[in-house]
Amino acid sequence: MTGLVVVSHSRALAEAAVSLAAEMLHGSEVRIAVAAGLDATTFGTDATAIVKAIEAADDGAGVVVLMDLGSAVLSAEMALDMVDPDVRERAVLCAAPLVEGLVVAAVAAAGGATPSEVAAEAVGSLAAKQGHVAAPPPGLSIVAELSAANGLSADTSNQTPTCTAIVKIANRHGLHARPAARLVQESRLFDARIELRNLDTGAGPVPATSLSRVATLGALCGHRVEVAATGSQAQEALNHVLALANRRFDEQDPTSAAAPQRSAGHRAHGTPMPASPGIAIGPAVSMRAADVEIPDEVPGDSPTEWRRVRAAIAEVRREIQRIRVAAAREGGEGEAAIFDAHLMLIDDTDLLDDVRARIAAGQAAPRAWIDAIASVEAEFAGVSDEYLRARALDVHAVGQQVARALTGAPAIRIEGEGVLIVDDLVPAQVADLDTSRVTGIVMAAGSPTSHSAILARSRAIPTVVAAGPAVLDVPPGTTVALDGTTGRVFVDPSEETLRELDAADQQARAKTALARAGAFSPAVTRDGVEVLVGANLGSVPDARAAADNGAELAGLVRTEFLYLGRHQPPTTEEQIEVYRSLADALGGERLTLRTLDIGGDKPLPYAPQPPEANPFLGMRGIRLALAQRDLLDDQLRAIVAVAYETPVSVMFPMVSTVDELADARHRLDLAIQLAGRGRPAGLQVGIMVEVPAAALKADAFAPHVDFFSVGTNDLTQYTVAAERGNPSVASLGDPLDPGVLHLIRAVCRAAEGRCLVAVCGELAADEAATPLLVALGVRELSVAPSSVAVVKQAVRQIDRAADAELVHRALTAAGPRDVRAILG
Amino acid sequence: MVDAEAIRSWLSLFAAEVARNRDLLTRLDAAIGDADHGANLDRGTSAAVSALAGDAALSPRTLLKTMGMTLVSSVGGASGPLYGSLFLRMAGSAGGADSLDAPAFAAALRAGLDGVVARGRAQAGDKTMYDALSPACDALDHAVAAGNDLGHALSLATAAADAGRNATIPMLARKGRASYLGERSVGHQDPGATSVALLISTAARALSGDVSQ
Ligand SMILES: Nc1ncnc2c1ncn2[C@@H]1O[C@H](COP(=O)(O)OP(=O)(O)O)[C@@H](O)[C@H]1O
Ligand SMILES: [Mg+2]
Repeated sequence: MTGLVVVSHSRALAEAAVSLAAEMLHGSEVRIAVAAGLDATTFGTDATAIVKAIEAADDGAGVVVLMDLGSAVLSAEMALDMVDPDVRERAVLCAAPLVEGLVVAAVAAAGGATPSEVAAEAVGSLAAKQGHVAAPPPGLSIVAELSAANGLSADTSNQTPTCTAIVKIANRHGLHARPAARLVQESRLFDARIELRNLDTGAGPVPATSLSRVATLGALCGHRVEVAATGSQAQEALNHVLALANRRFDEQDPTSAAAPQRSAGHRAHGTPMPASPGIAIGPAVSMRAADVEIPDEVPGDSPTEWRRVRAAIAEVRREIQRIRVAAAREGGEGEAAIFDAHLMLIDDTDLLDDVRARIAAGQAAPRAWIDAIASVEAEFAGVSDEYLRARALDVHAVGQQVARALTGAPAIRIEGEGVLIVDDLVPAQVADLDTSRVTGIVMAAGSPTSHSAILARSRAIPTVVAAGPAVLDVPPGTTVALDGTTGRVFVDPSEETLRELDAADQQARAKTALARAGAFSPAVTRDGVEVLVGANLGSVPDARAAADNGAELAGLVRTEFLYLGRHQPPTTEEQIEVYRSLADALGGERLTLRTLDIGGDKPLPYAPQPPEANPFLGMRGIRLALAQRDLLDDQLRAIVAVAYETPVSVMFPMVSTVDELADARHRLDLAIQLAGRGRPAGLQVGIMVEVPAAALKADAFAPHVDFFSVGTNDLTQYTVAAERGNPSVASLGDPLDPGVLHLIRAVCRAAEGRCLVAVCGELAADEAATPLLVALGVRELSVAPSSVAVVKQAVRQIDRAADAELVHRALTAAGPRDVRAILG
Repeated sequence: MVDAEAIRSWLSLFAAEVARNRDLLTRLDAAIGDADHGANLDRGTSAAVSALAGDAALSPRTLLKTMGMTLVSSVGGASGPLYGSLFLRMAGSAGGADSLDAPAFAAALRAGLDGVVARGRAQAGDKTMYDALSPACDALDHAVAAGNDLGHALSLATAAADAGRNATIPMLARKGRASYLGERSVGHQDPGATSVALLISTAARALSGDVSQ
């Protein structure tokens, strides 16, 4: 079990905090060690005492260290330097406030959470307190005030008064998995029994501590939910739930992402969407019958069977966490949050109670598990809301995952080889597919932005999603052809279609072959203008792929990959190491290192941010970096160190004012001064142009930069005021919108003769747009490693670099569709 | 050459100076902190002097390491891990050598500075120990590179540390407890920078003698 260490200047304070936390534990044994004060009365902290405390608290499962101020933090860091490396691996320093952090951490540890989970929950306690203390905004969602007094007077003989209140659900998609998960998480923190009833549908009451049960309320936007709390902390618990409801259960981004997209996928009837490019032709294979077969076994004694369940759950928990990290890296924290719901499901108290009861009644672990899961699945499938009903699929998949762990059944059994036709796949299933047998995927449901689609792309499996339920009726063995580039699916295609697809496939391959042949020559237009073609990198393997494809530089290194999915920032040394490996993998070509670009939509545990109503217009990019400049300063030090060895450009993200650039440059100068070796010879400085105001002020920025790099993805979303992740407005966000093109031209004009203009957004990889970008004055394109060779080839097709007429026609077009028509 | 004996006399001289200036350091910390820097450091350095007294046959590395570890576990305030890191890094830099020449000593002190930065993440102008220690290292490196003997180089470093200490007066604290005071920290000399100036001046006194001979 995760152990805890309390570091404080004052022994009395530490001991009192431990007593407070112990009250929440009701006798569960959590190891809490104290390293506080130089003795019982002398204030101070001692790194060697902290080392001993860490060793005492660690039973092999790791520890979380909570600290008060100043030297407590320095001494704790020092202690981590001094402990055994494997103990250090398992130890997490937690920035949570000491008292509430310790209380939350103790409860989480008692519940079997890992150190990183414990630390994350503890840090969350601050947000909870802030949310509570902040005055409720006007027009809030509580329709009835607390009626605790009524509850009391109604039955004065009752020793444990019930407090009730009604909240109106303001989340656009109701109390779906993520907000429900938050509610459950928070409800578990109190010594109170909290029950919920949906007053609009009559569903409930259900315990607020069970995710599976909360979901069955079917609470949609506008529904009134009665919250009733009993127990010693009833009032606190109730206040807490109300505050949470007010914050829409911490749902960061009420308009977008997973929920609506996935339900849209389920609704689709035959509007297939491309999800992973390429052509696949083969017999249809299905995996609908791939559920784990539960063997008839003679059960061992109940403790043994129960241990099997816990072990299988632990294994699946690790697996989900691994995927969660990958999802956060690719899609941001908001996307990854769905996995928190999966994690919570396998730790669901109601579910586990049910399993335990079945085992006590004499069932073997796999049977008990699968029956208990089936009843949860049935509850989900029975609710009226479509989105929640679709969650039955998640329950089923997670249930199968645990069942596999219990029985050792292979991940996915597919009979035969060919094109897999399925309802939907969870990411773990895509990750496990045997690509020598599955040549393509057609999903009845799903969405092109889902993690499963991202994984299919990264595994190069041609995929079409949202093909509609009819595809599920295709008999196994029928020939199926799919084009993952256009989203077309053919069942039993004619000879002619097959020939056509084959030809398209050949052509695509020939084009790639041609591009690859010229990958290592410069990209020069027919009239002799050279355009640099670089790669966008997010890992060292990316850099290798970029080098293989002929990248002439890294036009954008997304350094976030170093920072995400961990609980402490990377050290300067660690960064130097990674930047160096990137440069090595890239054969010493220039690295454009973008400084850490994060915001409230993907907060880092060690750089906590108060929740923002609209994180895309809030503290992010350089704004956040300058406000929390330790991270920036450490990073700049690493960048400068590497710049003495290899050509490096520093690029600041999301800059909107010249003052921000001046501040950022000042931090860079300090880092150079600190290095004490003068300015690195090849060091260049530039900014990302993502904010329309910055594009229009390019003239003012130009004297202070060596280059501009236009991030067309964000620039487009800010220019057309349409969020990328929101499917209902996503079609507005076309980077070929003439409004965006005008901004790119403004940047190129200001830069002319003074500095380089690059484009590093998705538009840079759009071969059709290459002539236009070059005509506007762009002289560097930075694209995904796999697109480098193709884009170079596109540059070579350009007859005239300065095509004024093309520019004129595009800039005066009415919309992106017309621009595309002009580009042909 | 700086041998074990020289290091030993430097460390005890530093301890003596800290004891003598204990009230001054605490008074400075009272203005912008929690009034304990003198008491903290004195507790640590006197514990270190007794720890060092035991064994006569210690190498420079062991002396510096013992000093560092003792400070880490007995100072109590932020200056514990900071001074601790300083001496531990110096010990690492000294390696197994029986004595250090001027460049080796300058390199060791710079390693100590790096340790302070790694631990406290302070920068120039944050109003901390760094603001005295960093110019001292610069001056020392410079003077040693120019061929000065260690004694002279350390006296130049002392002047740089004193100037650095004085320069903390107008600074706005951005690290440590003083940073909680914001604007109110302006106009006061930083206690940590003051103790660092003692560290360097005692080095100049203790380590100068034999180098010129
Ligand atoms: N992060 C830091 N980096 C460098 N020096 C620091 C830092 N924090 C505090 N100091 C130094 O420590 C001195 C205070 O030491 P002391 O009073 O012993 O510790 P505390 O602040 O914990 O009471 C400050 O005057 C300052 O010079
Ligand atoms: Mg103090």
